[in-house]
Amino acid sequence: MSELRQIADRFDAILQDRKLEKYTYTLSESEKREMNVKDGGFKLMRTVFNNNGSLSVYLGTKVGAVNGNDLSEEGLEKLVSDGIAAAESAAEDPCHDFGPDQGKDVFRQGIWEPDLDLYLERVKEFLATAAKEFPKVKIMTAIASYDRWNWISRNTNGTEFEGFGGQYSFMVEICAGEGEKTTGIDGTGFVTKDLSTPFMELADVRQHMIDVQNSIDTESVEGKFEGTIILTPGCASQFISMIISNYVGSSVIIDGTSQWLDKVGEKVADEKLTIALNPYDDRIVMGERATSDGFRSEAVTIIDKGVLKTHLLGLYAANKTGRPHVKNTGFDLVVEPGEKSLAELIASVDRGLVMGGFSGGQPGANGEFSGVAKNSFLIENGKIKCAVSETMVNGNLGDAIKNVRGISKEVLLDGTSVVPYVALDGIIISGK
Amino acid sequence: MLQDVIGAKKELFADGVQTVLRGQENRNRRVVILKGNLVQNSRSEGRGISARVHDRGTYGFASIAEYTTEAAEKVLKAATENAKFLAKHATKKIDLPKSYGMEMIPLNGQIVDVEQKLIIELCQTVDKYVESKYPDLASRTIVYSEDSLDKIIYSSDACSGHIVSPRCYVYVMMSAESKDGAPVELFKAFGGYGSFFDHFANPEKLYPGIDDLYQKLMDKKEGTYAQAGYKTVVLGGMMGGMLAHEAVGHTVEADLVRGGSVAGPNLNKRVASDLVTMVDFAHTYDGGLAPLPVYLDDEGTKAEDAVLIKNGILVGYMNDRESAQQYGMAPLGNARGWQFSDEPLIRMRNTCILPGKNTVEELIASVEDGYYLIDSGNGQADLTGEFMFGVTCGYEIKNGKLGKALLDTTVSGVAFEMLKTVDMVSDKVEWSSSGFCGKKQPMAVGMGGPHMRCKIMIGGR
Repeated sequence: MSELRQIADRFDAILQDRKLEKYTYTLSESEKREMNVKDGGFKLMRTVFNNNGSLSVYLGTKVGAVNGNDLSEEGLEKLVSDGIAAAESAAEDPCHDFGPDQGKDVFRQGIWEPDLDLYLERVKEFLATAAKEFPKVKIMTAIASYDRWNWISRNTNGTEFEGFGGQYSFMVEICAGEGEKTTGIDGTGFVTKDLSTPFMELADVRQHMIDVQNSIDTESVEGKFEGTIILTPGCASQFISMIISNYVGSSVIIDGTSQWLDKVGEKVADEKLTIALNPYDDRIVMGERATSDGFRSEAVTIIDKGVLKTHLLGLYAANKTGRPHVKNTGFDLVVEPGEKSLAELIASVDRGLVMGGFSGGQPGANGEFSGVAKNSFLIENGKIKCAVSETMVNGNLGDAIKNVRGISKEVLLDGTSVVPYVALDGIIISGK
Repeated sequence: MLQDVIGAKKELFADGVQTVLRGQENRNRRVVILKGNLVQNSRSEGRGISARVHDRGTYGFASIAEYTTEAAEKVLKAATENAKFLAKHATKKIDLPKSYGMEMIPLNGQIVDVEQKLIIELCQTVDKYVESKYPDLASRTIVYSEDSLDKIIYSSDACSGHIVSPRCYVYVMMSAESKDGAPVELFKAFGGYGSFFDHFANPEKLYPGIDDLYQKLMDKKEGTYAQAGYKTVVLGGMMGGMLAHEAVGHTVEADLVRGGSVAGPNLNKRVASDLVTMVDFAHTYDGGLAPLPVYLDDEGTKAEDAVLIKNGILVGYMNDRESAQQYGMAPLGNARGWQFSDEPLIRMRNTCILPGKNTVEELIASVEDGYYLIDSGNGQADLTGEFMFGVTCGYEIKNGKLGKALLDTTVSGVAFEMLKTVDMVSDKVEWSSSGFCGKKQPMAVGMGGPHMRCKIMIGGR
């Protein structure tokens, strides 16, 4: 992975030979070393060497984008030819652009030289702990992967960013069973650069093991009622992702279907809610350093104490709509914690759910959501009563975040985001 | 199309292990026009070589993003080393049959690439049609998406061959404002297996489908929320396909059976009414091509149909070689990887509930108070067979007649309970093939079904 800079120099020469005046590209090389566990035992060892080259060619205000993984001389030549052909075919649109000269920078993140022996031992330790402490839990799949990559991005405005990154990741899919009874699939995972802690104690791995073991016997909620759902951090991330896509993302602002089109500066959520994307938070292992439109990444607060601070527009969408551009194209989610503990939140709920997963599609533009509560537990009179099955939740995203009962002081640290439990009132919960 | 540069490297297959060497190229073409703006105009190609080696119950896999004989040598060496390394840590040893039949599967077609210019012109033509004919829409999006797989496979102990899988689609998405000012949306996919000119030589052929989509959107604009509860419904063919794939198909993938799915204890038991028969078709359906034909899988197994439910009785699973050995079944070609760097997993191909004898009109006329659920945007299911489908298009049924359109809702249930409530099945199957199934890797799959009358949980206010 030491030749990428030379390949980039060669790529520049090819692009300049073709007399292209405006382009931006990113070249990358990556390695993956992955151990796969199936049904509690080692099953597959996988090694992947990959490359990628992505190029956007600008001919006047026409743009064509191409990708390829062949970084040989012939492959680079083809990439340029395809890029030119794609740009020639495009429609004129002056809104396509990339950032001005950002100078040169090198970003080094994570861990470049892995300790694969210790990594293997941590996986074995996890399997042994799981078998001993959670005998009813089956490790359907565990994937332990060390990935590292080198990328270089240049454009004709003069920017040159280079990145070196490496991380360990661990993902498990689990279920529990007794006799012919089985739970649904549960799963969790994390990324880290530090192998000093047993995997069972990282992120929310132990909590998922406990929850799935407690889910072998389930009940369906009786009838239909309006109640509170306490979203686990994983489920809260899922909801926030839907909110961003539905209300502040580029597509819904360009096409005008966002219901928050003219709400910047206004209160759109409960004042307890503050949502940011912060790639420089120390608790995030591999935060974004450069945006896909050629800027240094910046932290951005989307909702501050309930007030919408900005839409999340890339450069194209900002140019197209005349609205402010946001220098952040990642999803390094940081949600501010609250003051109550999870136990206090549960104790405050008369009737509702702790919801570990939402099985439903992306809500329509009106924000209405409807889906099945997965990996969830019924709360009655401030106490967890039982795991639930065949239980649906319905509501509206925009309305739901105006009715925040509370946010936990505990946050999930999984290396990719920082998210607490979020309790939402006024949700329709229905059973069979 | 790939030229064969890997066949000569069969001589490097190690003794005493089972090896598959695969060269592969994936191509994607994508154009997106959002409200008249060309917001995406991209082409991508990724090729490389992988090897997978089985050594008594553990697997080594390696891939390199190069398509050369040298790369073939490197991945064979690395995969063999990986298998032997992991074998030291394995707790169970498994011996597979020595041979699965050494046939050479012939090339099944061609991938025809077209200039990006033609793709953009197609999208612009469709966009102009929608814009000029339906100016009252709040928004419109036209997407062209094409993906193709080109694979050359050599195995040490099974079949080999060169196979291609091209598919391309135009998606038309429309949005309108409902009476209370909230946006409502619908989309439709056109296209299927094959290349650009197989489906889009004449854009005008898309117009009747677009007109129908607009009419359904206008109905939805005036639509109502479904009443939550356990209801009698007529599931449309697309919903039947989603049911076949999500609710039943995943639970009978043998890796999930091994993980504890509800299909494990239900083999050879009744899981559906006797009107329900379900098959995962390999490449041929009803005398013609299945929506996404598969002739050879990535373990070198020649693809054949897998019968899953026969007259309501669960009779089989979808397997790879190892699970087939475990369950005493034959591997039928379900082990597939999406990119050259992906190991094969057990995947569905063209999963379908077979047609019955009633007409759609008879099904609708038979419902006194319920819903006709036509189309789904998404679906998910669990080991227990508990499933969820988003319903994007549907109507009330009152006294055997269609009533108001429905706003988006969700249906859910437990597959093997819900399928026992199927009491009428229509005589025609509808297929879809534009989606991806997600399971560590994406995979192109076909799914199909007839209209079915059944009982199901519907979500709503």
